[in-house]
Amino acid sequence: MSPAPSRRRRLAALVPAAALLLGLTACGSDGSASPAVTDPAAALDTPTTLTFWTWAPNIDKTVALFEQKYPKIKVEVVNAGQSATEYTKMQTAIKAGSGGPDVAQVEYFALPEFALSKRLVDLKQYGAAGLESKFTPSAWSQVALNGGVWAVPQDTGPMAMFYNKKVFDELGLQPPTTWAEFEEAAVKIKASDPNRFITSIDPGDAGGLDSFVWQAGGRPFQQKDATNVAVDLQDPGSKKVADLWSSLLQRKLVDAAPGWTNEWWQSMDSGRYAMWLIGAWAPGNIASTIPNTAKDWRVAPMPQWSKGDKVSAENGGSAVAVPTSSKHQAAAAAFAIWLNSDPEAVRSLNENGLFPATTGLLTDPGFLDEPLEALGGQQANRIFADSSATVGTGWQYLPYQVYANSVFKDTVGQSANSGDLNAGLSAWQKRIADYGNQQGFKVTTP
Amino acid sequence: MSTSQSTTSSTVRSRSAPAARRRRNRGARHGGWGFAFFAPFLVVFVVGVAAPLGYAAYLSLFQDRLIGGTVFVGLENYRRALGDELFRAGLWRVLLFLLVQVPVMLGLALLAALAVDSGRLRRPGLFRIGVFVPYAVPAVVASLMWGYLYGDRFGLAGQIGDFFGTRLPDLLGPDWMLASIGNVVTWQYTGYNMLILYAALRTVPTELYEAAALDGAGEFRKAWSIKLPAVRPALVLATVFSIIGTFQLFNEPNVMQSLAPNVVSTSYTPNMYAYNLAFNGQQFNYSAAVAVVLGGVTAVIAYAVQLRSMRKGQGA
Amino acid sequence: MRTPTTRRRPRRGRASNALTLAMALMLGYALLPLVWLFMAATKDTASLMDSFGLWFGHGFHLFGNIGDVLSYDDGIYLRWFGNTLLYAVVGAGGAAFIATAAGYGLAKYRFRGRTALAATVLGAIAIPGTALAVPTYLLFSKAGIVDTPWAVLLPSLVSPFGVYLMRVYAAEAVPDSMLEAARIDGAGELRTFFTVSLRLLAPGFVTVLLFALVATWNNYFLPLIVLSDPKWFPLTVGLNQWNSLATGAAGSGATTTDFYPLVVTGSLLAIVPLVVAFLFLQRYWQSGLSAGSVKE
Repeated sequence: MSPAPSRRRRLAALVPAAALLLGLTACGSDGSASPAVTDPAAALDTPTTLTFWTWAPNIDKTVALFEQKYPKIKVEVVNAGQSATEYTKMQTAIKAGSGGPDVAQVEYFALPEFALSKRLVDLKQYGAAGLESKFTPSAWSQVALNGGVWAVPQDTGPMAMFYNKKVFDELGLQPPTTWAEFEEAAVKIKASDPNRFITSIDPGDAGGLDSFVWQAGGRPFQQKDATNVAVDLQDPGSKKVADLWSSLLQRKLVDAAPGWTNEWWQSMDSGRYAMWLIGAWAPGNIASTIPNTAKDWRVAPMPQWSKGDKVSAENGGSAVAVPTSSKHQAAAAAFAIWLNSDPEAVRSLNENGLFPATTGLLTDPGFLDEPLEALGGQQANRIFADSSATVGTGWQYLPYQVYANSVFKDTVGQSANSGDLNAGLSAWQKRIADYGNQQGFKVTTP
Repeated sequence: MSTSQSTTSSTVRSRSAPAARRRRNRGARHGGWGFAFFAPFLVVFVVGVAAPLGYAAYLSLFQDRLIGGTVFVGLENYRRALGDELFRAGLWRVLLFLLVQVPVMLGLALLAALAVDSGRLRRPGLFRIGVFVPYAVPAVVASLMWGYLYGDRFGLAGQIGDFFGTRLPDLLGPDWMLASIGNVVTWQYTGYNMLILYAALRTVPTELYEAAALDGAGEFRKAWSIKLPAVRPALVLATVFSIIGTFQLFNEPNVMQSLAPNVVSTSYTPNMYAYNLAFNGQQFNYSAAVAVVLGGVTAVIAYAVQLRSMRKGQGA
Repeated sequence: MRTPTTRRRPRRGRASNALTLAMALMLGYALLPLVWLFMAATKDTASLMDSFGLWFGHGFHLFGNIGDVLSYDDGIYLRWFGNTLLYAVVGAGGAAFIATAAGYGLAKYRFRGRTALAATVLGAIAIPGTALAVPTYLLFSKAGIVDTPWAVLLPSLVSPFGVYLMRVYAAEAVPDSMLEAARIDGAGELRTFFTVSLRLLAPGFVTVLLFALVATWNNYFLPLIVLSDPKWFPLTVGLNQWNSLATGAAGSGATTTDFYPLVVTGSLLAIVPLVVAFLFLQRYWQSGLSAGSVKE
């Protein structure tokens, strides 16, 4: 985010990174002289088996490319569970001192938690700082924390508005460009059929609401230093979002329903929901789960709070990190860097359903002009790439966001029943502050 | 022949005094055998239950913080658990559940067992296995199935509502959730309890029924005065297990949580609370204390019920 | 003397239509969700989304779905199936055998600490399993058996309920006079157990075996914690993993495979062996089950 110091860092770190990325396997002979391999290039030439925990489907295809290129490294891809399940296992494995992975997929929201407790290797020592220019600023800002680089961005989820064009056409509606228009559209859609909603809001998904707040300019979580945390879930951005959605909920213009269930997908399939505000990774899910109506869906940019603005936010996305418990840190770091920054690898990741985090691919005309079959042939990547370029800056997660997200449903989720999200946010803030203080942080709330 | 026989019997008789002494000795040696038979269980019990339990009790005396590391806090975690509103709310919830769901389930199981045992059913074997099958369904599958059945739009509940041109109450809403969970538990365990009760009924000797028939007792009286006393101990056993199961309620509400996150909180039942403390909050120590308290409460209530019903049984 | 194995001739009264109807309702209640499961297993994703849940969709895809389940990810389902079988057979078989020996020891011998041990065993049932998961993981990790089948097998060998059941059962089923007779014949205690007592205990054994079988077959929580590598997963954990992939990859890594039919069909296939086992073993367990109830 702050270009001046990071450029200096980048230049300093560029040399080893370049050597690594060029694949200087020829250097292997002198690298193997030292028994504890700390040089990435040398590590890649030393026979090693790496365990890679990830739940990204089909990632084994990209991993296979790596193994072809560096035949001495064998990478065992293990799906150790998704998200919180994987983090719990990683935490327990690290606590126990064995059984953990060498490389692991970690979502951005969980990274500060692992980085803070020094459970991840600072990849700067393996040349990762030099990668900054390859990634979108928003992706990079989420892995470069407290002066270290704790992971390599793998995919991102710049937000977009997916809408059912058939429903919109039927009602003579245009996709809304502002939240005010969104509200008008919500009224019209409901009026056309009391069983229809413009969209749903998931009372169990903290990430979804976080993204809305992020887009509205709210920055409710601020980590000032190692122990000082500020939480304000009633800052102007959070309040704007909560007011809008509370009003929509009270008027029954949106449906409070958990996403991804059979019932929810049926609502998407049948036109009961006309819209889905979500990250750019969604087209694959739409195509595979509701194949019959996927062709009716199109993408438009997110509605804006002020007409003419162009502000977006991230929803989801992961990075790849190396836990300190790994015994092959250099090779693991080299693998993580190659997997997510080598142009060939990045293209392969994208082909297998991940939305890119690299500027190289996001500006590639071949990528931008690709018609997406899932969305009736729309060249939606242009909209996604625009969204990625306009993500609001300065967002931070808590150093214990995994816990905070887990009690979202207890607080904000419950408030969706009454439609008073502000009350829910206050309750959430209290739980977050209590927990933080118990854990030894100094949490300040307004 | 006769001589040898008498010799044998006389030797036996003459040996009887030392034999008794020896039997006592042998009893001690056999006692060793008793322990030997028990030993394999003791080993797996120590490895699989006692050691982790002891470790949990040990962990419960510490506090591990993200900042500041591990410190010994003595009984602080227990003090906190006893005053924890979330924990208490969960306990009250399962207690309410216990008072309503367990009698309903055991009542159904008893009726089913009596029906299957009555000999007046066509194809009793079919009913026996059929009612039991839900017990064999894994939780993951249960979540999918009940998601469909309870769904008020595209699910069965919604379709029944459409058929009658009305809207059923939202079974996954705050008002109905506990009942919906009760239904899933009842669905899953009625067959299991039916089998236990049915097996008890099978031990009633036929002569009793014949005698009753001679007395001109009807089916209802037979059920009341012969069968019910016969299944009483089994019923107590089933009750005790149901109490324990209720306090440990985890799977079913956890399944429902994915369908209604706005209703089923992370502390909905004490066991879910302990789980979420440990797995989402990294509060292993506090979680261990909560679990120990929960185990204690469960044991006390289960024991009290057992004691009470045994005393009642003797009185009757 | 009344033993738990007392069997009555089935009394054949007049079949009652009303009673049969009432039980049929109950059967319907028990099976309705499974009808949905079966119907769902015959559908492709599109039909799952837009056809009536309790009837067939467009086309009959059951066999296609089964084929997909068995072939996905190089047949990982079969591997999970094999693991489950291993955990169930070794775990449940071992648990039943260990519980039988322990119950027999408690019932037929007097030794010091017997009562205390019996009470401990019963008390252990009241401890919530979830509470033990993390300590178990940490201890097993120190022993180096995390992520191996042992981590699942060892805890599933413990069946306090089985010990309780077998203790009551053995007290009734194995007469003391018979043990005395065997001793007078000079048979060792072990030999008596294996050649005489075990046969008498068979119905109880089968009962404990069946309950342990269901418990290990459906064991989800412990394997989830102690296993990371899918190649050791049992079906429950594997199916849950597919289910999480079907229900969105937590905002990361869009799903390109169609997991819904895999989950549904895989679930159906997972239930079948248990039902078969019950049908097959039911003539044994009927008599064995009564064990817990004969003690008065």
